[in-house]
Amino acid sequence: MKFDVIVIGGGLSGCTAAAVLAEAGRKVALFSEGLSLHDASQGPASHKDQSRHPYSALAAISAKGVTVFRGDSIIRAELSQEGTKVLRAFSRNLGNEPLEAAAFLLATGKFFSRGIISNMEKVFEPVFDADVEFEPDHSKWFNPDFFAAQPFESFGVKTDAAGRVFKGGKAVENLYAAGQVKAGAPMSDSEIEDSGRKAAAAILKLF
Amino acid sequence: MQENNISTANLEQCLKCNLCTLVCPMLAVNEQYPGPKKAGPDGERYRIKDPEYYDYALKYCLNCKRCEVACPSGVKIGDMIQTARIKYGSQARIRGLHGLRDWTLASTDFVGGMAAVPVIAPIANGMLGTGAAKAVLHGTIGVDRHRTFPSYSPQKFETWFRKEAAAAQESFSSKINFFHGCYANYNYPRLGKDFVKVVNACGYGVSLLEREKCCGIALMSNGFAAKAARQGRINLNSIRKAEGPVLTVSSSCTHMMREEYPEVLGLPNEDVKDRIMLLTRWLYPKLASGEIKLRFKEGFRMKVAYHTACHMQRMGWQEFTLGVLRMIPGLELTVMEPNCCGISGTFGFKKENYEYSQAIGETLFAEIREARAAAGDSVPFAVATECETCKWQIEMSTGIPVVNPVSILAGALAD
Repeated sequence: MKFDVIVIGGGLSGCTAAAVLAEAGRKVALFSEGLSLHDASQGPASHKDQSRHPYSALAAISAKGVTVFRGDSIIRAELSQEGTKVLRAFSRNLGNEPLEAAAFLLATGKFFSRGIISNMEKVFEPVFDADVEFEPDHSKWFNPDFFAAQPFESFGVKTDAAGRVFKGGKAVENLYAAGQVKAGAPMSDSEIEDSGRKAAAAILKLF
Repeated sequence: MQENNISTANLEQCLKCNLCTLVCPMLAVNEQYPGPKKAGPDGERYRIKDPEYYDYALKYCLNCKRCEVACPSGVKIGDMIQTARIKYGSQARIRGLHGLRDWTLASTDFVGGMAAVPVIAPIANGMLGTGAAKAVLHGTIGVDRHRTFPSYSPQKFETWFRKEAAAAQESFSSKINFFHGCYANYNYPRLGKDFVKVVNACGYGVSLLEREKCCGIALMSNGFAAKAARQGRINLNSIRKAEGPVLTVSSSCTHMMREEYPEVLGLPNEDVKDRIMLLTRWLYPKLASGEIKLRFKEGFRMKVAYHTACHMQRMGWQEFTLGVLRMIPGLELTVMEPNCCGISGTFGFKKENYEYSQAIGETLFAEIREARAAAGDSVPFAVATECETCKWQIEMSTGIPVVNPVSILAGALAD
């Protein structure tokens, strides 16, 4: 399947970017592993209220023409020989079907949504194995003061000024990141939305 | 993913976020149902300690898997509930009138086979269609009087295939296998014929499996898990003996054989799973790459509203079907929001479930009626879906025809 842009992650930054890209006339696919937790916070009362239905964000971007793959996620990708361009990606549900796009947007969030994963040795990004900024000394990951800002919260993928992701020390020309998956202090909801909008604007320059 | 998991359904990954609770179609209409989180991962932790904690309200689970689609953590909530029903629930016995009903509804092969005896099909169809018979079934074994039984065909698809089509398949150098399913075999052989027409137009011959039994989904959900597993073993063995892809037309049979055989019935299928797929899953990449070219009728016109059946949604394959439908010139496609129709196989046929079934389906029915009204009358209109029980439910509830995408494709092909 071929798209202009494939957005990986159906949270706030992914949905925002997908909406902006679709409004600009791009053919967009969005893969959302489950629903966004932003929808859960509205509580069960939202169930019968269609405007606040948990599918609302995904339904809204679907109505804008985005092809939404609910409950599916990109699990691996193939890059060019130099490792500077994503050629195609593959999802869990679509199996061996190659998913091609001019640009890919990584909007998978941080630890909670497993956009970033840690073990005792390292911190990594599971889809592209993109370069992650993190503190190598495990003893410095945490602040003993539970309520203080925690250093691990800032771990995330390294990006250049245009929001492109690095892999093996080189910027990948068509792989962008938005939202919490990026290295840096935790963002507010409006900052996450803004991050999605900025990534979409950068991607639109490719077309 | 996580180290030291003890469960097979990712129990430990549940974050208690309640997204599954929000999307559960049963919970929205039935407060007796604890909902997927409580019935699934929450309840499972208690059941592991003591099976006494098993809650009989788990019978309300539709097994629609919409909880699994919503889960951001990959917890197989639906599988967990199905497994609990098999492990801790009372095993069904053909006892009493409701037991007889459940067995009859679940035994698609036996009932379909009986109905295919030449004299019986017209009698059965005639009788089951009458108000008197419906009242009797409602009052005795508890099949809801509103329901219309799918009619039985006087000739099985398998019989037609052997007599009329098998010889012609020999002229093709490559063949694919066809798992036709009960609906195409006993109720609506036309669907099987459409499949053969499409595959032949693609340049492939069709062969049937050495032995095909009902996939067992109806047995599993009615408490006859051991029998479902026996049938599953027969199907998997037949698939192992066959070479190449095994194509299907029903989303629920496909989901059952691919996902529920290993996860719920404990039948390993890793060696053959990737070969079991819907026709459109196989066809779309070949059409998109130009490997297969189809010729379509000039002047074909149709408006289609696509309904993503629950198990289709869980497999995530709707884009393959939509991709194929979009290639048909003259076909106007609208895609509806994925909502459950409420029938859940045999669930909605039981009189005690009728009200829940219709209440769940209402959101979908409203969208279908809207699409029908918007389509006007200048061009034929149909709802398309891969699930036969969705078809019965939508046709009964809206009066609007529902067609399998394979039949739409067959109808659009140039002769």
